[in-house]
Amino acid sequence: MVKKLKSMTIALAGNPNSGKTSLFNAIAGTHLKVGNWAGVTVERYEGYVNYKDYRIKLVDLPGTYSLNAYSPEETVARDFIAGKQADIIINVVDGTNLERNLYLTHQLMELEPEMVIALNMYDEVQKSGITIDFKYLQKLLGCHIVPVSAATKSGIDSLLDHAVRVYEKKISIAKNKIFYSEVVEEAISKVKALIETDTALTAAYGARWLAVKLFENDEAVYKMLREKPVWMRLDGKLGPILAGLETAIQGKIPERILEDRYAFVRGAIKETVKAPNEGKVTMTDRIDSVLIGKYTGLPIFLLIMWLIFQVTFTLGKVPMGWIAAFFNFAGAQASVLLPAGNIRSIVVDAIIAGVGGVVVFIPNILLLFLGLSFLEATGYMARAAFVVDKVFHKIGLHGKSFIPMVTGFGCSVPAFMACRTLKSRSDRLATMMVIPFMSCGAKLPVYILLIGAFFPVQMAGNILFGVYLFGILVAILSAKLFKSTIFRGQSEPFVMELPVYRMPSIQSVLMQMWLKAWMYIKKAGTTILAASLIIWFAANYPVNKALENTMNADAVLQSAGKSPVEKSVIMEKYKNEYAAARLEHSFAGMIGKGFEPVLKPLGFDWRINTALVSGLAAKEIVVSTMGTIYSMGQIGHETGGLVNRLRQDKAYNPAVALSLIIFVLLYVPCLAATAVFHKEAGELRMTIFYIAYAMATAWVMAFMVYRVALLFL
Amino acid sequence: MKMSDLKPGDKGTVLKVEHMGETTGRLMDLGLHKGASFKVVRKAPLGDPMEIKLRGTLLALRMKEAESVVVEKEIPAAKEK
Repeated sequence: MVKKLKSMTIALAGNPNSGKTSLFNAIAGTHLKVGNWAGVTVERYEGYVNYKDYRIKLVDLPGTYSLNAYSPEETVARDFIAGKQADIIINVVDGTNLERNLYLTHQLMELEPEMVIALNMYDEVQKSGITIDFKYLQKLLGCHIVPVSAATKSGIDSLLDHAVRVYEKKISIAKNKIFYSEVVEEAISKVKALIETDTALTAAYGARWLAVKLFENDEAVYKMLREKPVWMRLDGKLGPILAGLETAIQGKIPERILEDRYAFVRGAIKETVKAPNEGKVTMTDRIDSVLIGKYTGLPIFLLIMWLIFQVTFTLGKVPMGWIAAFFNFAGAQASVLLPAGNIRSIVVDAIIAGVGGVVVFIPNILLLFLGLSFLEATGYMARAAFVVDKVFHKIGLHGKSFIPMVTGFGCSVPAFMACRTLKSRSDRLATMMVIPFMSCGAKLPVYILLIGAFFPVQMAGNILFGVYLFGILVAILSAKLFKSTIFRGQSEPFVMELPVYRMPSIQSVLMQMWLKAWMYIKKAGTTILAASLIIWFAANYPVNKALENTMNADAVLQSAGKSPVEKSVIMEKYKNEYAAARLEHSFAGMIGKGFEPVLKPLGFDWRINTALVSGLAAKEIVVSTMGTIYSMGQIGHETGGLVNRLRQDKAYNPAVALSLIIFVLLYVPCLAATAVFHKEAGELRMTIFYIAYAMATAWVMAFMVYRVALLFL
Repeated sequence: MKMSDLKPGDKGTVLKVEHMGETTGRLMDLGLHKGASFKVVRKAPLGDPMEIKLRGTLLALRMKEAESVVVEKEIPAAKEK
């Protein structure tokens, strides 16, 4: 008989770097669901675990240092706990850094949730010779403490056991009163008494917590209370109480509250924790003296970035070849299996070619994210931001902007998402606006085709490198422009913790990599599929029957009386020419021609324009569209024929090629990326501005490059 | 004196965090409140931001933020002869 499981919700709260997510993974395993908190771009991790009679829903609250609701993360965590959305809170505490971690615990306790403290990294605590008097600390905090280690997965059953038993009210510890200094307490109880007249409000949030938040000048709480009838009582009295307290403590009240919290925590630690001498040089100190040292910091940063790119592109090449081969094979098979006509064309030209073109980059994306996730998990990422912040600050961005910008070399989709780590909206938007200028992986085939066709082999590498640099330069100048004009708003202060170095578990790195890559596969996959279908339609319709008939008749006439071999050559030529003619008269061709007046000054003819329009679905489609236009039939990934074709074409010369490269580098990224930009920016206005800016920049830069190149080439 | 005036290796105690809006709150949440003692570990290779050690935690902050932290420098005890 299958037992019916009861459900309960456990939320994990704790400091960033407290090992909260590792613990979450250790409990929930791999059954994760990632989403967004409604209305904010803060990632939401959920998982399920069956334990005893329960099916437990685990919610990983965003890591925060306090519950002041300064940042979206704090607001999310606070609303979740204050709104009693969880049955049990597990407060994850880094046992090696008790003082700051318990500061958050103190604030959590004020919300009076049912809570269990998971004293994480207990293995490290023991190793470093720290002893903790658990019994007494439990009593002081009024809360169960379970030593655990997410790294060695010890103590996890005991933690869940405690959580369940606290939930079932089988065990309890007398809640200890969290206290402030006497003067503060006096004032709190006065305000508390006033709030308590509203019983519903008191039941929902706790009168004491609301009082403390009023003392801390908490805007959200003020706003909420102002709309309640109880404000009538508070309004006249709160001011004098606060003024009186301010005089009594001769200082600012919020600061006093904070100091009192630290004093409480320090007192509790003093009573219960014995730590050996703290002054000794730690492993982290030694590693840091090299990794972010005065002379070594920058070279090592550059070396690490270079390594990640080497690994991404050289290692990625191999599976990339397999995937490309697979899609070529699938396309060939489908061509054989399906009868000629629209169905075959949709499957082969739109679905297999379009989706295949994106899937081919998955190995690159996976490797890039593997590297970035590893750096993140070890603690180096924060240090990289520390090393480069000055440069980024100069151009108006933030040290943390560099992570999304580096990701942008792989794909803009995850890069836009990575901007979530930037708290200030102006920093975030400015970073997002310049990410597409970091040349993404999909643009590479276009450069390779054009450089290969028009420049000598020995120059190819330098030109390619130059293209990337050009993109970076445009990004820097744009960022500077944005931050001194439209995004002048306050920059996020650079105040961050440099976490202790830790060797992450392979499982957690792989998990982070997969979560990020999955966003790419899912978002890019679905949007690209849709876009490929639209472009297929635009390139194939309307059908010009008359044209087909004339050309067909012409071919039949020519091949009359010829040998079968010659006949097939003529028919093949006809097919290619017809494909080109059909494209010319299709919607895509019309659009391409429509753009001629605008793009003529850059040296582009309608055929290039058509390729650029199709490139909006995905940049690598520029290459395959050119294949179709230049009558190469199905060229797939084999570009040798196309190179010769382009060389012979009068519309092309090295200057046009350069102009086209620059245009592809800078113009609006693919639809998938633009859709994600829109979602992350959250404003149509912003998306329109972004499209207009990218287009204008691409045009101006390509124009300048073209005109200058004409003089020299 | 200001925290930004200290050199790597210097130790000090926080006297006051001057009002900078949200930044103040964040600095204080991270443990930089009145009476907290810390040590300047280093400056970033390019001279900004700086890194301090505060009871086992390593914190990075820009010089601009460090300017708003008023500190008292700990005079190193004179070496005994």
